[in-house]
Amino acid sequence: MKKKILAALLAAAMTVTMLAGCGVPGGGKEEGESSESNEKVFRYSTRTEPTSLDPTKSNSIPDNEIQHAITESLVRNTGGEVYPGVAETWEVSEDGLTYTFHLNPDAKWSDGQQIKAQDFVYSWQRLMNPKTAAPYAFIGEYIKNGYQVEKGQMDPSELGVVAQDDTTLVVTLEHPTAYFLSMIGAQAQFAPLRQDIVEKYGKDFAADAEKNIYSGPYKLTSSKNQKWVFEPNEEYWDADSIKLDRVELSYVQTQDTALAMYEDGELDYVELPSAAVPTYEGKDNVFRNGNVDYFYFNCSNQYLSNKNLRLALNYALNRNDYNDLVNNGISAPSASLAFSGLKGVEKTYGEESTLQSYPLDGDEAKAKEYLNTALSELGLSNPSDISLSITTTDAETSKKQAEVCQEMWTKTLGINVTIQQVTYNEVLSRQQSGDYEIAWGGWGSDYDDPYSYLELFKSGSSYNYSRYKNDQVDQLLEASQQEVDAKARMDMLHQAEQIIIDDGAFLPQAERVIHYLLDDDMKDVTFFYCSVNIDWVHADVEK
Amino acid sequence: MLKYIIKRVIAAVLTIWVLITIVFFLVRLMPGTPFTSAKLTPEVAANMEAYYGFDKPLIVQYLVYMGNLLQGNFGYSMKFTNRTVNDIIGETFPFSADLGIRALVLAVSIGLVLGIISARNRGKKLDFFCVIIAVLGTSIPDFIMGAVLQYLFGIRWGLLPVAKYEGIEYTILPACALAFYTLASVSRIMRASMLEVTQQDYIKTARSKGVSDLRVTYKHQIRNAIMPVMTVLGPTVASVLTGTFVLESIFAIPGMGKYYVESVSNNDYSMVLGMTIFYGIFLVTCNLIVDILYGVADPRVRIGKR
Amino acid sequence: MAELKKESFVIRGKDAVRMESISRPSLSFWSDAWRRLRKNKSAFIGLCIVVLYALLAIFAPMFSQYTQSQMDVDARHAMFSAEHWLGCDSTGRDMWVRIWMGARVSLSIGLISAVLNMCVGAVVGGLCGFYGGKLDMIVMRLVDVLYGIPSLIITILVMMVLGKGITPLIVAMCVVGWIGTCRFVRGEVYRLKEQDFVLAAKVLGIPDIKIILRHIIPNILGLLVTNLCMAIPGAIFQEAFLSYIGLGIVPPDCSWGVICKEGIQFLRYYPHEILVPAFFVCTTMLALNLLGNGLRDAVDPKLRGTE
Repeated sequence: MKKKILAALLAAAMTVTMLAGCGVPGGGKEEGESSESNEKVFRYSTRTEPTSLDPTKSNSIPDNEIQHAITESLVRNTGGEVYPGVAETWEVSEDGLTYTFHLNPDAKWSDGQQIKAQDFVYSWQRLMNPKTAAPYAFIGEYIKNGYQVEKGQMDPSELGVVAQDDTTLVVTLEHPTAYFLSMIGAQAQFAPLRQDIVEKYGKDFAADAEKNIYSGPYKLTSSKNQKWVFEPNEEYWDADSIKLDRVELSYVQTQDTALAMYEDGELDYVELPSAAVPTYEGKDNVFRNGNVDYFYFNCSNQYLSNKNLRLALNYALNRNDYNDLVNNGISAPSASLAFSGLKGVEKTYGEESTLQSYPLDGDEAKAKEYLNTALSELGLSNPSDISLSITTTDAETSKKQAEVCQEMWTKTLGINVTIQQVTYNEVLSRQQSGDYEIAWGGWGSDYDDPYSYLELFKSGSSYNYSRYKNDQVDQLLEASQQEVDAKARMDMLHQAEQIIIDDGAFLPQAERVIHYLLDDDMKDVTFFYCSVNIDWVHADVEK
Repeated sequence: MLKYIIKRVIAAVLTIWVLITIVFFLVRLMPGTPFTSAKLTPEVAANMEAYYGFDKPLIVQYLVYMGNLLQGNFGYSMKFTNRTVNDIIGETFPFSADLGIRALVLAVSIGLVLGIISARNRGKKLDFFCVIIAVLGTSIPDFIMGAVLQYLFGIRWGLLPVAKYEGIEYTILPACALAFYTLASVSRIMRASMLEVTQQDYIKTARSKGVSDLRVTYKHQIRNAIMPVMTVLGPTVASVLTGTFVLESIFAIPGMGKYYVESVSNNDYSMVLGMTIFYGIFLVTCNLIVDILYGVADPRVRIGKR
Repeated sequence: MAELKKESFVIRGKDAVRMESISRPSLSFWSDAWRRLRKNKSAFIGLCIVVLYALLAIFAPMFSQYTQSQMDVDARHAMFSAEHWLGCDSTGRDMWVRIWMGARVSLSIGLISAVLNMCVGAVVGGLCGFYGGKLDMIVMRLVDVLYGIPSLIITILVMMVLGKGITPLIVAMCVVGWIGTCRFVRGEVYRLKEQDFVLAAKVLGIPDIKIILRHIIPNILGLLVTNLCMAIPGAIFQEAFLSYIGLGIVPPDCSWGVICKEGIQFLRYYPHEILVPAFFVCTTMLALNLLGNGLRDAVDPKLRGTE
């Protein structure tokens, strides 16, 4: 009998060896990956797969991060500061509506041709052209006639962007936009495009690394097998400032896997899963990615239209405990709307804020007070007469968010709370159709300004999923769009935020804090809270 | 036999067509649209719907799709704009298939051996040992198995690479994790089936003729006992080769399992259909092969006639 | 030598009733199976574990001071202790209560859906296999179509119509779950119906239904039972997979799949949060498998009367 087991084991061993004999698709490691060589390589991973290599159709932060390296816009936004890009200099008119850019004649595409003003005109018109169906086309509504072009009511040629000659570009805006330069320096949709290349490949443009042309500091050499390889673009106008020899971006969905790869030396940068943060205390660094977590209240709901009930829910949430329970204590509990790290007039928006909001530890007594007022206003006698359901996504953290709120509200207020877990897509469609009571939500801004967050509560905005309406807020936000004086404008925004908070229009929870590990040799990697979270364009390896 | 095969192939084509049609309409019943995103504005949504032809009647969309399909064209993905579904399948399938074949060979060879050993030593310690292996295999789901293997061999002991799929050493952990369940079920079914066969007259005859124990097992038992295993393997082959969502995500393998699952939750219609058709062809073929093998492996079975 | 006298003998007569009786109690198929199951030690242990878990699932949560949703910031990731017998999860919920609340869901989902699937699968597969021909061709092609539809679509649609919860989950799992058994039974029936004893029965003019019930079913029962025992963990983990992608049961209710999913992210840091649920899943499966093996042997007509 033993012999037979032995034989069986041998057979198994042979199969394994046989298996080991044949190759693997994609074929082995590329050469030059050894750490001995003096190549300066930066390897990192993304949790969300980039959706498109076409800058116009860029739709997510990973998309933007790739484009930030392979395209050069008029200006370059590095960590919130605006530097010259293809444009050497620019002038802004008094009313803040007209921008004149003077392009650098030395700025070249990766095939050696000059980057001309017409390339921007073509790209921006393509972005707004309804036939392109760019998912982020709304970002171009700042440009004069942008909205009409997007709706198909005007021809793309009427868009407020004109090439006076090869090196002069004039952009007209709908309304003064303080953050315009900062935005076009980081959002991929404003990158230049070469008409001949785009038309040559048609629908297959940017399908892979070969079917594209690059204006940025790096060019993509491969996009195969969920791995993106970048190498410096020799034709880049500022090629001397580029230090890295190669950058590799891998798609790794599971955070623990990415962490293990980092420990194995296969990655140079990793975001820590929340459970791992205590283990790496002292070795990790942090940045905030500008994402705020909150729940929407559907203000057209029979119960939630009551302001006192919304305030009761807000006061009943102990945000410090919430943060410990949901995020393992690594995020920053928050009771405000706009991300605190945004640029203010002189300091950050959060530092300049005078917002009076709910205490982070909650306030049970006050919560009950508001609840009682709400009950009498609603004509109910018992807290348990109120039933609310939380619609949340299928992600583990979103589930926990809902469970913690459910537990705190039922315990403190005695109301009934149920949870509905549906797919992410369904949560979004319910928000848009208004078919929810309380819904999971989160926001990250595309530009460095609180308006992006406040717009969520402006009636008439397509993002007003709460169906909240306050005329004062609407007026303040409208006025802020026309105000040229920075200080006065910020004051309006602070004021609007205070009203929204006083109305308990939503349930702020936390600002996300990303804990990360970065290889000690890596220098000058920049982190930012809009559009591009990690910016390694000017990074260097020092041994 | 030939006539039967021809009949079956025609039926298979019909099956795939029905499958496509049903899925084509089912995906559109799902909540949300392919363009759902947090910052979608109604204007952008309208433009995208026009771009993908969603403004046309459903039946027209169906005919257009079928027309493209007849030319072997699955269309452009709606989430990964600028990429065709054909391109994505072409890039990811080799990885899934490679992993799947390794896992299958491992699972079937070891599973059969365990099942045979288990049956021949029924009720003894060896049998119990095999039961334990089978239990571990069936009762530990892939997301735990993958994570534990990765942690122990990749991180704790540093013997094997933790993730990616760039060489032979990279394939071992995911292949083992993927093989475990199939291995366990093959061994269980083989055991039961072997015991079934042991009681048959021809085995008794062979025994009483004085044929050696081992020879009886080899010559008579295994060939007869393997049939139920084959039935189970048919669909398993199809699903194992077309990728596994969980293991691919744990081991960061660029396979197609992820697209199969995520395209559904993304409402990426063309991707869902492409994946379903690809998987459907696989499934139907595997089942056809199993049915034909039934006739080959077991001379008493005559499928197709009453 | 004493003489045998006639008086020494009494005519007792014939007792017609007693003559016919058999000294040992007659055994029906099922009581014989039960007798043999009891004699099988490992199978009996398996049965005991299953019963124990079922009892704990019913009673343990009632006698605990905690509830499955009660959170405690200070007890996050707590290890085993007198207050929390099996420690706590990442939100400080008591694992002992959660495990048994989860067992209610998991065991019932596993059992109900596995049995349902087996019944439907066996009937459809049996008919297809036995009658073959056109019926078989059509049903099997339909089965291929059904199997080819991504199960996620079916699940999402079922949940959209029926809402979330245990019943929709079972329905969603059963829509395609029976197919495996069906194909499997069909194959077996194909194989069996050409065998001599079926042929003999046919020749004797026994009606089809009787042939199926009397001759074919008992012969595949062994494989069916094995299949069933593997289908239960299969169902429990399909639920776990659906939870993995967020389509499982409604929180704060939990199941073993949900607990595993919550625990797996802490594998490297708080391993007990995954090992505890995994232990219960594994032991349940072990018990079911041992029981299944025993049952298989017990119901096998060919082994009847042996041992």
